[in-house]
Amino acid sequence: MISKTSIKAIAFKEYKHITRDPFTMIIALIMPLILVLLFGFIVDLDYKHIKIDIQDNNNSQMSRRFIDILKSCQYFKINKLNSMLEIENKINKNNTPAMLIIEKNFDKNIVRRNSGKIQLLLDGSDNAKTGILTSYFTGIASSANKIYAKQLNTQYNKELIRTRFLFNTELNSKWFVVPGLSTIVIGLIAIILTSLTIAKEWENGSMELLLSTHVKSIEIVIGKIIPYFILNMLNILMIFIISLLVFKIPFESSFFIYSIACVIYVTGALALGIFISVVTRQQQAAVQFAFAVGLLPSFLFSGFIFSIENMPSLFRYFTALFPQRWFMEISRTLFLSKTNLKVLLVPFLAIIIFAIFVIILANIKFKTDMEP
Amino acid sequence: MKTPIIEVKNLNVSFGNFKAVDDISFSVKQGEIFGFLGANGAGKTTTIRTICGILSPTSGHIYVYGEDISKNTSLIRNNIGYMSQKFTLYKDLSVKENIEFAGTLYNMDNKKIKEETQKLFNLINFNESENTIVSNLSIGVKQMVALCAAMLHNPDLIFLDEPTAGVAPQIRAKFWQLIKILAQKGKTIFITTHYMDEAEYADRIVLMQTGKIIAIGTSKELKKQFFKTNFYKITPKDGNNIALLKEKIELLNFANNISLYGNSIKFMLNNYKKWQQFLNEEANSITYQIVSPSLEDVFLKAVSGK
Repeated sequence: MISKTSIKAIAFKEYKHITRDPFTMIIALIMPLILVLLFGFIVDLDYKHIKIDIQDNNNSQMSRRFIDILKSCQYFKINKLNSMLEIENKINKNNTPAMLIIEKNFDKNIVRRNSGKIQLLLDGSDNAKTGILTSYFTGIASSANKIYAKQLNTQYNKELIRTRFLFNTELNSKWFVVPGLSTIVIGLIAIILTSLTIAKEWENGSMELLLSTHVKSIEIVIGKIIPYFILNMLNILMIFIISLLVFKIPFESSFFIYSIACVIYVTGALALGIFISVVTRQQQAAVQFAFAVGLLPSFLFSGFIFSIENMPSLFRYFTALFPQRWFMEISRTLFLSKTNLKVLLVPFLAIIIFAIFVIILANIKFKTDMEP
Repeated sequence: MKTPIIEVKNLNVSFGNFKAVDDISFSVKQGEIFGFLGANGAGKTTTIRTICGILSPTSGHIYVYGEDISKNTSLIRNNIGYMSQKFTLYKDLSVKENIEFAGTLYNMDNKKIKEETQKLFNLINFNESENTIVSNLSIGVKQMVALCAAMLHNPDLIFLDEPTAGVAPQIRAKFWQLIKILAQKGKTIFITTHYMDEAEYADRIVLMQTGKIIAIGTSKELKKQFFKTNFYKITPKDGNNIALLKEKIELLNFANNISLYGNSIKFMLNNYKKWQQFLNEEANSITYQIVSPSLEDVFLKAVSGK
């Protein structure tokens, strides 16, 4: 029989520990807020108003037409250069992210050979930006092709490159980042704080005292994680509300399903925290362990910042081990698309299996017996 | 004969190859103050933990209230009080919150907790606010409050693991008075300490070394067992030549166990004739008295004479 009074007493005691420790309070309440605002407002993964230097050696109606297309798509801030010397200067000083050079016989070549050349120079030091810019230009080039073809009345015979972004139709990174934040916040609070709190009881010896009473270890664990469970749920709710109200992110599907996903994921994360604390039994080791398996994978292997599709295949399989990846998928999908739930079957199964696995593991490890 | 409240038979506790407790047996009577003495690492805490059911013995049997604790853990858990050496109270909670938490763990309701707290606080003369955060208490007061928390559910058997470590001497004396009072009320107290002077308060004493019991008995019995005769203590009238005096005693070879004791020299006699001679010579410059051996002497001898 599990005693409700014991659980209540331990949960209440834990609530007081949390509210009296400024460190815990900051991590639990202020960090999530800072993260949401930071990623929501400041970190902008979009690439807009890109400064681009253009050297138009042709200066014909056709080349001006091309520059007009660039202007009209709002992604670029155009700076016209006047001499090859300027180009050299700019490149040497390393202060241009992108540069276009239109060849001298651009218009003639289009008319005669059906291929005008434009040279695109990109600063390759930022991989992500280069990728985005390349795709922008591919799009622009293909629409320019169409326009020229129409103008010249020739058959447009090049392969049409079309890039369409589904769901996040505006390619707005906020829409992508903010829903994923709950994954990070749970990585932070559930895993780190939980592992800390139980490791603390081991470390200062109070676990021994608790175990000397008739309180069962399962009651200790449940009592200790209840406040953290509530804290996690409150944070998810906060992120949810901020997403909708401040960042105007649409929530396209069922809130009920999202809640269920949160409960499963949080349970798994809390169990992981307990497992860590039982294994380490020391706060310092627990924090390091929690960073390694909790926080870092939340950032690195969840697809939050680095897209999983672009990873080497070994890493791609590796990410499958982390529930963060699957919850990220669920969270983004539920936010941004009216999805058929079958799509989420695998992610859901993954977080359920993870939760069950870790609970069993923690249970085996949580011995009533103390050893030095 | 009354059944002993604790009976330990051939208890062994090992961690890997390390024998923390090595085949010990003893029993504790109801209402006794049972002192466990030994250096750090002697196995005192391990023994307590095992009796409290926190550790499982590697082999051997422990009976508490006549019941085998490996078969009936809940009995012991509901009827003992345990104050551990490492942890006593949550520092960030108030006195009241700590006490209430301890009470709730023993399924006591608020009314009962209040009554018992009042009784215990009167006993320890606690006169600070109940809402004081524990980290603001002095160590002595904190240990007293911790004792209250351990006794709130009114157990007959109380385990105290080094309760006076780091506590100021006058508070230690007060703490022991309290323990005496509890024993008079019929509680059995199982206490460990490494302060030898304190151990004199205990009814019976166990000396432990590297997991083994090296001596057991009352303070008097132990002294008799290890020392057939009493000590002589001489004090020079002017304190300066004490080292010289010690050399002289060693040279004359009428004593052993010679040790400096502050301003005096303590030794055991082995040659009465030579001693008389020495006394005649030094009659004007020294005073002497006969003292009984302290528990510290007993401990040192027991440890060295294994």
